[in-house]
Amino acid sequence: MERSGAFTNPFESKSKSAKLRRIPLYLLTVVMIAPYYWMITSSFKSVKELQEVPPTFFPKKWITGNYYDTNYNPGMFQQDVLQGLFQRYPDLKFGFFRFIFNSIFVNISITVLTLFIGSLAAYVVSKHRFKGKRIIYLVIIGSMMIPWQVGLIPGFLLMDSFGWLNTFWAYIVPALPKAFIVFFLTQYLSSIPDELVEAARIDGASEYTIYFRIILPLLKPALIAMMIFTAIGEWNNFLWPLIITTSQDMATLPVALANLRNSGAGNIGTQGIIMAASLITSIPTIALYFATQKHFIRGIALSGLK
Amino acid sequence: MLAPFAILFIVFSIYPVLSSLRLSFMRYNAICNPDQAPCGSVGFGNYAQLIFHDDRFHKALSNTGLYVIGAVSLGMLASLALALALQEDTRANRVLRVIFFLPSVTSGIAVVLVWGWVFRGDQVGLLNAFLNIFGIAPIEWLATTWMAIPILIFMSVWGGAGFGMILFLAGLNSIPAMYYEAAVIDGAGPRQRFRYITLPLLRPVMVYVAITGIIGAFQIFEGVYLLFPTSVGSIGGLQDMALMIVPYLYDAGFNKFRLGYASAIAWILFAIIFVVSMINLKISRSLEDLK
Repeated sequence: MERSGAFTNPFESKSKSAKLRRIPLYLLTVVMIAPYYWMITSSFKSVKELQEVPPTFFPKKWITGNYYDTNYNPGMFQQDVLQGLFQRYPDLKFGFFRFIFNSIFVNISITVLTLFIGSLAAYVVSKHRFKGKRIIYLVIIGSMMIPWQVGLIPGFLLMDSFGWLNTFWAYIVPALPKAFIVFFLTQYLSSIPDELVEAARIDGASEYTIYFRIILPLLKPALIAMMIFTAIGEWNNFLWPLIITTSQDMATLPVALANLRNSGAGNIGTQGIIMAASLITSIPTIALYFATQKHFIRGIALSGLK
Repeated sequence: MLAPFAILFIVFSIYPVLSSLRLSFMRYNAICNPDQAPCGSVGFGNYAQLIFHDDRFHKALSNTGLYVIGAVSLGMLASLALALALQEDTRANRVLRVIFFLPSVTSGIAVVLVWGWVFRGDQVGLLNAFLNIFGIAPIEWLATTWMAIPILIFMSVWGGAGFGMILFLAGLNSIPAMYYEAAVIDGAGPRQRFRYITLPLLRPVMVYVAITGIIGAFQIFEGVYLLFPTSVGSIGGLQDMALMIVPYLYDAGFNKFRLGYASAIAWILFAIIFVVSMINLKISRSLEDLK
């Protein structure tokens, strides 16, 4: 059946007013882009320029001092010279790179492990028969109705009692069981005929062979969609990392960003550095989005409307 | 093979939820934990305090209610309008779709920090600089009590419209073209086609967008945390103008260390979200029955 896409009646000609009607759309587009434009340009403005009234729309001179200021001398105070982003955090071994590393490490660990564990569970739930399966599946689905903040306080206390506060464990382990992933992958697997799995079992294939050789390849499109969602969601996660980090060195980028802002709050001169950090925090997810756009949009449509 | 997920799920998903329910009936703070006298159980004390006596919580509730209504209704309107405007599959529209979707993948903190600059109260604030062209004196956007909620709503619509748009586009594309063709043959104009084909067939998507939107809006935190700090160790802005449920939960739990009280807030949040979602489903079902 032909899908509508955008239905246009060939007998209702497109008038000029249709084009005019798109003007508000382009104005809105400007509003959408403006914050990104400001983030990028401000991160290359000098402290002096940032303090100007009114603010300059386009940098008079592009400088990289907000990232790394070669004029900066730790022993000497100079007006209009600030520590660049990568010169800050002298107590941390790799300075700002430490936060980038934390974010990347946490992100990759969670994404890989959560998909592995989740797909194993989905395989069992959809292709095995055992007592209590229905109830287990119902509990998993039911848990999605509960906002995650409900478990926030006990989750924090649990991390405390495990001695995991301010460690990577607290970032990674509690983030692994994701009900939505099991739900989504189980739905996806239910469209795959059971005979495929049963035939392999009769041929004497072990469960893990079936999982790796049959299930994983079949799940690939669904796994890619879930991978993108998980990676972007975890990268931008804020409240949980805020709670479990007690020292600077364990912060991920969003937490480091919030701390950076709170430490220099209100001072317009430091805004360039904050925008530089914001830009660095934003680029990876935007890049991932651009690189995987097709999967991404299909994934949203799949997961949202099934 | 189910074991790794099952164990992690029980320890880190189910246990915290049950434990939080238990804590919500306890007094648990910096100086006493629930297993010691004189703390321990307070029955419905936390809930009674929250519901009948806690003015800050009432403020948080009414703020969140206003915010959710504004953000979800305006967000849905914007999403639907964008989906309709960008429905045709042209190159320009594809580019615009990407641009409108961008905020959905951008770090909320980074975005909030830029908006913080836009709404700065002094002359280097971008909005003030813009208004200055027309001779309007600087306005303290973030310190004017009635403006807090509209600003947060604006940020929410800006950030969320693209996501709803994608869902609506998927819904629009799944409507069979022959319905429209049949309607044209019967003499229906664009307005009638929208009213009698597009809108009814989009209803399932609308319900989905509304429910996920409501759930998401109730959980607002980042914007309040960064743009509306009161002073050191509190949250919510001047006269709690931007205090919401989750920021208040954070405040109670991690600034004041009242863990039982914070757990009770979390359960009230769940109850509200649950009831609102159910009402939403019920309404959409009864609308379906009306046909």
